[in-house]
Amino acid sequence: MSVLTVCPYCGTGCQLIVNDPGTGERVIGYSKSPVNHGKLCIKGYSGLSYNFSRERLKHPLIKKNGEFLRVSWEEALNATSTRLLEIIRKFGPDSVAFQSSAKCTNEENYLMQKIARMIGTNNIDHCARSCHSPTATGLITTLGAGAATGSIKSLEESKTYFVIGSNTTEQHPIIGTAVVSGRKNGKNLVVADPRKVQLAEIASIHLQFNPGTDVALLNSIMFVILEEHLEDVEFIKGRTQGFAEFKKEIEKYAPEITEGITGVKPDAIRETARLIAKGKPTSILYAMGITQHIHGTENVMSISNLALLTGNVGVRGAGIFPLRGQNNVQGSSDMGALSEWYPGYVPVDSPKVGYLEDLWKRVLPRKKGLSLSEMFDAAADGSLKAIYVMGENPLVTEAAISDVERGVDNLDLFIVQDIFMTLTAGMADIVLPASTSLEKEGTFTNTERRIQKVNKVYESPGEARPDWWILNEVGRRVAGMSNYGSPEEIFEEIGRSVPSYSGATYDNIYPIGKQWPINSDYPNGTEILHAKSFPIGRGKFVPVRYGPAAETVSEEYNLIMTTGRNYFHYHSGTMSRRADLLSRESPEPYVEISAEDARLLGIKNSQTVTIESRHGSIETKARITDKVPKGVVFVPFHYDESRVNRLVGKALDPLSKIPEFKVVAVRLLV
Amino acid sequence: MSEAFIAISKDFEMFGSVEREGEIIFDRVGEFDEISEGRSRYAPKEFLMQRNENVLLLKQQEKKAVFGVMSCDLKGFYLMDKQVLGKDPFYTERRKNTLFANFVCNEPCEGGFCTSFGGPVLEEYDVQALRSGEKYHLLVSEKYDKYFRNYEREDGAFFSKFKLEFGSKMEALQVDGVENRITWNSGLWKEFASRCISCGACNFSCPTCYCFDLYDDGDERKREWDSCILSGFTSSSAGNNRKDLDERLRQRFYHKFVYFKKSKDEYLCTGCNRCVEDCPVGIDIKEVINHNYSGE
Repeated sequence: MSVLTVCPYCGTGCQLIVNDPGTGERVIGYSKSPVNHGKLCIKGYSGLSYNFSRERLKHPLIKKNGEFLRVSWEEALNATSTRLLEIIRKFGPDSVAFQSSAKCTNEENYLMQKIARMIGTNNIDHCARSCHSPTATGLITTLGAGAATGSIKSLEESKTYFVIGSNTTEQHPIIGTAVVSGRKNGKNLVVADPRKVQLAEIASIHLQFNPGTDVALLNSIMFVILEEHLEDVEFIKGRTQGFAEFKKEIEKYAPEITEGITGVKPDAIRETARLIAKGKPTSILYAMGITQHIHGTENVMSISNLALLTGNVGVRGAGIFPLRGQNNVQGSSDMGALSEWYPGYVPVDSPKVGYLEDLWKRVLPRKKGLSLSEMFDAAADGSLKAIYVMGENPLVTEAAISDVERGVDNLDLFIVQDIFMTLTAGMADIVLPASTSLEKEGTFTNTERRIQKVNKVYESPGEARPDWWILNEVGRRVAGMSNYGSPEEIFEEIGRSVPSYSGATYDNIYPIGKQWPINSDYPNGTEILHAKSFPIGRGKFVPVRYGPAAETVSEEYNLIMTTGRNYFHYHSGTMSRRADLLSRESPEPYVEISAEDARLLGIKNSQTVTIESRHGSIETKARITDKVPKGVVFVPFHYDESRVNRLVGKALDPLSKIPEFKVVAVRLLV
Repeated sequence: MSEAFIAISKDFEMFGSVEREGEIIFDRVGEFDEISEGRSRYAPKEFLMQRNENVLLLKQQEKKAVFGVMSCDLKGFYLMDKQVLGKDPFYTERRKNTLFANFVCNEPCEGGFCTSFGGPVLEEYDVQALRSGEKYHLLVSEKYDKYFRNYEREDGAFFSKFKLEFGSKMEALQVDGVENRITWNSGLWKEFASRCISCGACNFSCPTCYCFDLYDDGDERKREWDSCILSGFTSSSAGNNRKDLDERLRQRFYHKFVYFKKSKDEYLCTGCNRCVEDCPVGIDIKEVINHNYSGE
């Protein structure tokens, strides 16, 4: 047995081969892949054993009197459909909501949003809401497409890397190594991050700015570019709009003024501005450090402003790279598993929805649905009666968890489809056992828009079934959806629904994938977006004004906590914590704290501490490190035994509805 | 070699290097012609040490014959033997029951440096084959001689001559004495650490790395290939002795070029270059050999 497929972890989308001729499995990177050139990180090499975990869900379960009972698929599917239909009949389609998954395939995300919309609701959303919704909202506004503008391969041609809010070597390791190797070969590297991440250690400049002050930082860089006349005049004139108004805003951000906000010395800002503007082509890489703020969309638009100002779009080696956290965040967003967009980012209130109505032969809802963060509130206030979750663990990963719990408690029906009995699945009325991505066929779209074929390596345990199979069964029963015989049939329909996927087939994306748009004009896909023009004509400068984060420190809550992932784990840890080496490397929850803060608080390494925010408290162990500066602590969110999201508040970015996971005022108690 | 292949297949399960999805990997093979002579994508050490297995149960080992192993990869097993043969029952049982037929490369590969460690013609082998035009020259060990009764005997002269020619095309590195030249406080280790992302590729790809982790999984006790670059490797209740990544990288190279040399009189490296090829940040073991330590 030897199968070429895609790594199930981060959005890089490394291709790997699993080979087992009866000698135990061997995992190798696919050397022909333009993404990873045969390389993998530790999660690819040693992270796949969750597939064989004895804790896998093997049978459908229905909760009766507080206990899960094993039932047949027929019984589980009938219960799912009967109860959903009853709620819809009584309370209308907007009383149910669906949470799709960036860990599932394009085909599965497409099916789930189709079910929701055929029922008559846009209450469909997924975890992209909590990671890159500001990217979609922001970049669609400024450039016309919410995706990376270049390719991973084109990073080789950059002269300067500007990495902001991305711990690239830990979160997108193989992309990180492109930057590491580039730096080794003498390229410029500016890292803007409150934490001293690995790339910061080798950077030309590390801007260790205060969490939540991104706009002030970026605007001051652009102030210097304008002050020193380093902008790309020709590009601004020929390709953009809105420059004059934008310039007026930027003029307020002299680095001497922003220093008080960002904590960054003016000299460092000036040097950064010169590197970015003179050391072209410059590629800008960002991740959750930019998006997970109440100003997330504005942060993204600031980055877009910087790229437009310096003419760093549409050229090899330049570009904007929103690094996607999960294997298929790009694809699940492309599929329209979001409450404000139909497949292909067609706004729900757009006349273009008519095309899908013809295709699906159904009148479709035109009103914005509930976003992920709003669904649980609607459940708590009783307007939402049922939630169907696929491959997500919101009881660990959503902000303000006590409110999530309250919402789930108040539901009439909670359905969870997963590979493990997660904390979330444990709360469900019906649990549907799913196959992992190594047990099924489909496609993932990686962080550079590359649609790649996912292939079946292993058999599913017990009665676990691929998510597309389960959704197909549910869709037929509750939405009168026609039957799909295979993922390929679904993919063919995706080609008809999403223009940028129209030229892709299972055959022609094999083996190394193609980057969308793939259509009759670009049958081989598109490596660099916006080379000649933008989908919206001219790139749009948007003046962005700095505003503070939702939470600030006070005498009582004197530290800023940021949350995120570490190298060894992924999301709520359901997969990575079931892999031997990964769980050994990072076995338990912790808080990173600076030596100085630890000394002031009398905290020793590995000591158990209580972290309190205005919203809740958790216990965890202290890890003293020079990675975080004084005044800042970092807590990973992988651990369900100590859920850091208890501490995160409910403040949302008004434009994208993303919660502020990156700035939480806390205090530590011994 | 088809005739011997058929004879061997009567007693052994047959495996070989074959091309799949554009990569040369190891799979079951039915006939000799399926075997690819190209360089395999990896050293097939899972034939002796599975990536993950239950150590509470040692099953009867089938006899396996593996064709198409590269000389550099096979050399790795002879080096591992010095540490684990007779001590690790899994390795030992499989080693006894596995026949390896190695191909000697006709031309140097890019980046490889096997001549620095005595390659590509090995002094120890089961079946060693060297192509010359349409024909193979063969060296066969006593243990497997019975399968090759109808083949021409080689006295090794052809191999010696070939080795000399090969050596002129791939100049050997100055390995001798590296155990005395290498320095504990060299700047190399920190420089490597600034780039290393702890992926483990150097260990997993290495034909001589044999370390594993032990852990309990329900009623099974399992071992899994480990990486000495990780901080959990050999850690005790006080954590890892080698707290920082540069110390762990140094340990890897000291083990290969100092400790193993001092205890077993061999360097734990075959010059296969696989760790370099699989490393995503280009850390090059050749630099450890060539580095001017005294000039630092």
